[in-house]
Amino acid sequence: MKDSSRILLFSAVLAVICALLLAGSTLFTAPYRQANEKAEELRNFLAVLGAPVQELRDSQELLELFTRDVRVKTLGRLTLYEYYPDSGGDAKPQAVAVPFTGMGLWGVIKGVIALQPDLRTIKSISFYQQEETPGLGGEIASDWFRRQFENKQLASADGQAGFRVLKPGGQAGPAEVDGISGATMTSQRVELMLNNLARSIAEERQHYVQ
Amino acid sequence: MSSSTAVSAAPSAAKWKKTLGDGLYTANPITRQILGICSTLAVTNRVDKALVMGAALIFVTGLSNLFLSLLRRLIPNRIRMIAEMAVVSTFVIVIDQFLRGFYWDISRQLGPYVALIITNCIVMGRGEAFALQNPPLLSLLDGAANAAGYAMMLAIVGIFRELLGSGSILGITLLSSAWYVKNQLLVLAPGAFFALGLLIWIFNVINPPVPRETEK
Repeated sequence: MKDSSRILLFSAVLAVICALLLAGSTLFTAPYRQANEKAEELRNFLAVLGAPVQELRDSQELLELFTRDVRVKTLGRLTLYEYYPDSGGDAKPQAVAVPFTGMGLWGVIKGVIALQPDLRTIKSISFYQQEETPGLGGEIASDWFRRQFENKQLASADGQAGFRVLKPGGQAGPAEVDGISGATMTSQRVELMLNNLARSIAEERQHYVQ
Repeated sequence: MSSSTAVSAAPSAAKWKKTLGDGLYTANPITRQILGICSTLAVTNRVDKALVMGAALIFVTGLSNLFLSLLRRLIPNRIRMIAEMAVVSTFVIVIDQFLRGFYWDISRQLGPYVALIITNCIVMGRGEAFALQNPPLLSLLDGAANAAGYAMMLAIVGIFRELLGSGSILGITLLSSAWYVKNQLLVLAPGAFFALGLLIWIFNVINPPVPRETEK
């Protein structure tokens, strides 16, 4: 009996020490980690909008570019990030980014889509946070998958709001892209996410004034 | 490893030197013990990744060895392994958080491999084989030396792969793409197998293993 109480006492003390160490390091690094995550998000927003993020050296410059060239606007339930590359000199934004989230197969997928000012034509898309299976669903983050979206419409041919991720190999229409072989679940969930997005954008489109 | 000596007396200078030499070279974890291969294959396509990974392992192995050695007479034998895991994973999470806070880019490129240090055989192996039988400072040296031996091999593989695969070292272009055709194979995972296999072969030719039965 003495032996097991010693084990209990030892585990309890060790657990408390480890927990204190972990809590301390988490608290200490939290502001820096959050700043980095925020900068990462801004970098993705700027990248889909077509801003020259490759030339930036650090998160300070990133933030400067973002505050200078991007205007944040609320439209109903949507948050729009309008891109004015000439510091607001243009009447129309060059592109509008709309972030979206949804459940993937293993975890939350966060992405951002850049549209032309008509809020219909896709400029580019990025899935910047995802935990899909590497090599299968994880391919949503790869260039070949993302490039398919360029110049597609966020509405199907008959004007209905909607977007389809097809089985790979078919002929993809203007509101369709090829899905990923071996990642049907991820493809379906991405499709659902984009459909929800297309629907909320369609609801708000007529209220959109630049 | 031979570490069955009594622990009461302060270790001699020769013992310090042997511990350092074993970890770095004679019993190098990669070329001799063939431990920690998974991360060696994964994070060596660029030198900076290899260096950061090596530094993270030096931190984790050194400190967990120090801690385990301090606790070595208190840890009940029946929960020895789980206590080791708790100590090791604490330090791994600390270094992972630190990298995410201060070296975001490299932390993103290393992906899950920093967190996977928890499963790196070198860390647990040094704890089990050395720290539980030896005094704290010597254990700290043993952990750091083994991890430095690991880091050294990672750097060598990294230099080889980055130079031939991307034509650069630490991002500085050395082999101009004007006349050098980059070997993509070395950037990808299979290239790591070739590079590491060659490295282990070379080191075993230079420093052949001592037959086990003559030990001690």
